Amino acid sequence: MFLNTLFFLSTFLIFLSSISLVTTKNIMHSCIFLLGSLIGVAGLYVTLGADFVAATQIMVYVGGIVILMLFAVMLTGGKDFVSRAQALMGLIPAMGNKFSTFVGILTAAVLVISTSKLFINLRSAIPQNKMAATESTVNKIGKLLVTNHVLAFELSSVLLLGALIGAAIIARPKKIF
Amino acid sequence: MPSNNIDVFMPIIILMFLGVAICLLAFLASRILRPSNPTIKKETPYECGEEPMGSAWSQFNIRFYVVGLIFIIFDVESALMFPVVSIFREMVDQGNGGLILFEVLIFMFILVAGIAYCWRKGDLDWVKSFNVQNNNKLNKIKE
Amino acid sequence: MNSTVVSYLTGFEPVKQFIAFLTKSLGFDVTALLTFVIFFLVAFVIVNIMAAIGGLGTYAERKISADMQLRIGPNRVGPYGLLQFLADGVKMIMKEDITPRDADKFLFFISPIFCMVGVFSTLAVLPFSSGFTLTQLDVGTFYLIAISSLVGLGVFLGGYASNSKWSMLGGMRGASQIISYEIPVTISVLGICLLAGSLGFNKIIAQQAGLPHTWFIFHNPFAFIAFFVFFTGALAETNRAPFDLPEAESELVSGYHTEYTGMKFGFFALAEYVEVFVVCGVASALFLGGYNVPFNLGGDGLVGQLLQIGAFVSKTLALYYVVIWIRWTLPRLRVDQLMTVCWKYLTPMAIFNLVGMAFWVYWFNGKSIFDLIFAAGSHAAGGH
Repeated sequence: MFLNTLFFLSTFLIFLSSISLVTTKNIMHSCIFLLGSLIGVAGLYVTLGADFVAATQIMVYVGGIVILMLFAVMLTGGKDFVSRAQALMGLIPAMGNKFSTFVGILTAAVLVISTSKLFINLRSAIPQNKMAATESTVNKIGKLLVTNHVLAFELSSVLLLGALIGAAIIARPKKIF
Repeated sequence: MPSNNIDVFMPIIILMFLGVAICLLAFLASRILRPSNPTIKKETPYECGEEPMGSAWSQFNIRFYVVGLIFIIFDVESALMFPVVSIFREMVDQGNGGLILFEVLIFMFILVAGIAYCWRKGDLDWVKSFNVQNNNKLNKIKE
Repeated sequence: MNSTVVSYLTGFEPVKQFIAFLTKSLGFDVTALLTFVIFFLVAFVIVNIMAAIGGLGTYAERKISADMQLRIGPNRVGPYGLLQFLADGVKMIMKEDITPRDADKFLFFISPIFCMVGVFSTLAVLPFSSGFTLTQLDVGTFYLIAISSLVGLGVFLGGYASNSKWSMLGGMRGASQIISYEIPVTISVLGICLLAGSLGFNKIIAQQAGLPHTWFIFHNPFAFIAFFVFFTGALAETNRAPFDLPEAESELVSGYHTEYTGMKFGFFALAEYVEVFVVCGVASALFLGGYNVPFNLGGDGLVGQLLQIGAFVSKTLALYYVVIWIRWTLPRLRVDQLMTVCWKYLTPMAIFNLVGMAFWVYWFNGKSIFDLIFAAGSHAAGGH
């Protein structure tokens, strides 16, 4: 029962905030709607029983990425970039120009065709409320990280190091000398 | 008794709902009770009694952005560390502690190298006063 | 296995009989409905109590500061002025609500709600007692750290939406301060999770016991330092003095809530005071033994639960007092000092502590320093 409710709430949140995200003209509002969408995705992870991934989603995206995006918007000066110049028909700024709209529609068509196979079995695929009491995923993820996937674990640290140094260098003010 | 494990997440949704509901109810109550006679002076942003000059939404220091970037690096790092530390003790009990400790140390060392680099290059200083340094250099050249 | 307040309550025999009776008389399985009802009622009670604690926090703040400055403080409303916070609440509801002309109305409206939701969601995992914790998630600490970052977002948006220079400065400072200090706090929590071998509050507390020598703060020297790193970081994360740069009244008027009036301001303040309680509760759960009662008094019965709640709340309120004490003792930091403290002192210390604790667990097989001393003592005394 709660599983279905949570799924419904999450998808509803994702749906509403995604629609608002692409239709609003204010870039700060877009960030906030993106936040709603990301929280909804965390809810979807919870319905799958992936508690750790859901918490990571909130930790990294809600706590980090969205705040970074807001900072980035503030770097550009905020209000001057409220709406974009190339808005299609002057209505929906996120639609871009004609070419990008075409590419977007093409991508959407390909995605719909390729994922439609998933939806054919929709009714029979969901075990309704038959989900067994799952144990936490944290320990399993931890064991896999330090045994089978230890290379990925260490390489991710190298990746983070590269990102850190790159960020520091890009953000450094240009020296006169 | 939870019918399945998902039910343990129910209080979070309820509390989020309660947080929103309390706010909205209080706003509603205050909308009914409070007076409302706005004037132009009242709605002007506070700027120590002066007329505000321009918008506050102006370009900001890039320092904030750097802090945000470094934060995300550490955020992802701690998100990766959480499952590892939760099984560390179990692994030590099983006798694999040395291996795990080694892996964690490598992971931490690479990140500490990154933060040490930023520290050495002065990216962690809040007021990175290039102008001051440059002025010092200028003064040295003049001398 | 995750345990919740529902699974605790349904462990009692009368409750089981009640469920069976309801199921028989209503004709359908009431377990799911009852789960929701119990969760909702307990959550409602906890939210109300926490709101009262937040309100009493403002009273305590004023009374303690008055004591420290040889004043009397609020003493008119109710006995000893205890009902002052209710009077303040009524006043805030009655106040005119002013939205600045050029403000971003939507964000201006929504940012106090962000703060409230961020703080209230953390209450789901705050361990009041072994039974009356709303839900004891296996990812409890991680979830708490993650969801509380909504508060930083609320602070930033509040500052941005006002379109006032003071608010904007306060909001930017607040957001960067909160996210910066989240790093040492998170790494300190990582260390404790490493000692306990779990992320859930119930398992972390179960590894400790009632008396101080079993607490994680005295487990080893690194944990002792980690407690102070955690506490300092938590002070900064909740914008408390000496780290209250986002609302520094001497430089930023009132910081991110300069333009806020009435109940919207009230919710910012309430969220701050409840968050202080939450971080103090987390500190007492992770480092100071949590709800463990000395000598295992009580047990799983109702009396034992009340004793556990008493132990937890008294430890938390003691820390709350320390927070207020620090506020009225120390002067405010400068903004560059703030960042220096975070990135050059607390973060390296936290990483050092984490590595130290990993070594300790590996070397001594997770035994605490007192275990080692007692073992050495009994060995020296010729025991076994």
